[in-house]
Amino acid sequence: MGGLSTALSIGLQALEATQGALDATSNNISNDKTPGYTREVVQFTSNQLTQSGDTVSGGGVSLNNLQSIRDELLNLQIQNQNSLQGSADTQSSSLQQIQSYFTSNGQDIASALTAFSGSLTTLSASPSSASAQTGVLDSGENLAKSFNTTAQGLAGAQSSADSQVTQTVSQINTITAQIASLNGQLSQLQTTGQSGGTVQDQRDQLVQQLSTLTGISVTQTESGETITTGNGTPLVMGSQSFSLQTATGTDGMQHVLDSSGTDITTAIQGGQLGGAIQIRDQVVPGLMTQLNTLATQLGNAFNAAQAQGYDSNGNVGQNFFTVPATGSAAGISVAITDPSLVAASSDGTAGSNGNVANLSAALTTDLPSGQTAAGAYAGLVYQVGTQASNASSQSSAISQSLLQLTNQQNSVSGVNIDEETTNLIQYQTAYQAAARIVSTIQQLDSTTINMIS
Amino acid sequence: MRVADVEEKTGKLGVYLELLLSLASELERAMEAIARNSLSEFTDSVANQEALSGQLVALGRAAGEQVRDDSMSTAVHIDADLAQQIRQASTSLQSLNRQYAALLQHSGHSIELMVSLLSSFKGQLQEASGARLKHQTWSCQM
Repeated sequence: MGGLSTALSIGLQALEATQGALDATSNNISNDKTPGYTREVVQFTSNQLTQSGDTVSGGGVSLNNLQSIRDELLNLQIQNQNSLQGSADTQSSSLQQIQSYFTSNGQDIASALTAFSGSLTTLSASPSSASAQTGVLDSGENLAKSFNTTAQGLAGAQSSADSQVTQTVSQINTITAQIASLNGQLSQLQTTGQSGGTVQDQRDQLVQQLSTLTGISVTQTESGETITTGNGTPLVMGSQSFSLQTATGTDGMQHVLDSSGTDITTAIQGGQLGGAIQIRDQVVPGLMTQLNTLATQLGNAFNAAQAQGYDSNGNVGQNFFTVPATGSAAGISVAITDPSLVAASSDGTAGSNGNVANLSAALTTDLPSGQTAAGAYAGLVYQVGTQASNASSQSSAISQSLLQLTNQQNSVSGVNIDEETTNLIQYQTAYQAAARIVSTIQQLDSTTINMIS
Repeated sequence: MRVADVEEKTGKLGVYLELLLSLASELERAMEAIARNSLSEFTDSVANQEALSGQLVALGRAAGEQVRDDSMSTAVHIDADLAQQIRQASTSLQSLNRQYAALLQHSGHSIELMVSLLSSFKGQLQEASGARLKHQTWSCQM
């Protein structure tokens, strides 16, 4: 048995350890519902054995430090899923906005094409009718406007995505600066041997937020976490952050530059930033190109049909549509204002409807793209719908995956109140038994005196 | 005074001393178990303490009867060195016991606080799905 001073020392250390454990547990339970909180456990170190004469006794234990329970692999998986979800959500949201311009509502291109075709049927029946000619002119204007509206909608979605690029870069810079600051604090705490669990939790939360904004790669270094974009552009190195910048490119869009001014826009993948760039630079331009092609080919085909006939004044039909060389969907308009200029006649005689068939054929026969106008537009609608549906499905799937990962993370890092309660009850029972023995030992003192007196 | 009486009493006191030392050892072990959060070791030690203290009480009771018998005849003188060892062991045991009592009281109070805290917890408890990795948590380390 060790000496009394040894026993006292062990007892005091045990008390200190207990107090540390109580603090840790109180913190665990009070943070049970705190998002991102990582449960702490107390780390004990066995003290050196003490020797008194020939007797060697245990040196007790000391509270070494508090350690947060973390699973870095799970954190990494969650970061990756966050990036995918950020991108999918952004694209899904933008595509739903775009889809509204391709939905049948009486003002859309498909409805306008049908109405335009109907007006030509009416004109065929009454080629000299001013009303029928006006009907063709009006429905032609509606068709042009529906192209304009859809193109404006696409441009609006592109502009929103462009604004989102600027906003997201600003958010990224704010978060990376905070992470760098926390890295510095954590480094100082670790130098002085203090627990940095809370600071680490805050940093982990910010890293998760950052991963929803853009795809990142995180590595642990001696000076703290190093965070880069997916292509290796540094964002945080220890206590230093590297701000991204935005600048207007030659295409009029906001480009993302790294801290040295290099354009990294095309290299950014994932997160809301990657999703916004994907919508702005890939999805919308792709749809816009197809819409422009449709507007150009339809306008040119109808103008060609006009040129084959004669208007009510006996003149060769002039262009019905004005089709700009670029941005045709946004700029297409009806070139004529006089209904009598619709070239219904095939020979210049009044009352002839010979050219109406050519005008109608411009709408119903294949354009140079190999599809009719209605077919090409239906293809566009299908494409937008499929992309929106895919983005939405992807977002839902990633949400499920994230939920599972988060649950798994909680099972590692979270606080289990049931488990805590069960353990407490077991200890209470053992303590009650121990307290009875304490009382018995106190009474032994007089017994001992009696024995040796 | 018979030689046999002296030997008998010396033998009992020797056993008594060993029990005192063993019990003190168990108290140390129990305190270390508490600090290490080793519930199984702690309960094992408590069981040993119960057995040892029971033997000590029984031996003390028997010795008390012996003293009464001796008072009616010739008193048995015991070895002074052995008596000194028992006195020191007893003093150490009582000191350890006070430490042990303080630790139990402190930890017991902590546990009561934790039980109150848990019983007043109104949050929704939900078991996480998926693979659960069980980790020992620290409310049981008091």
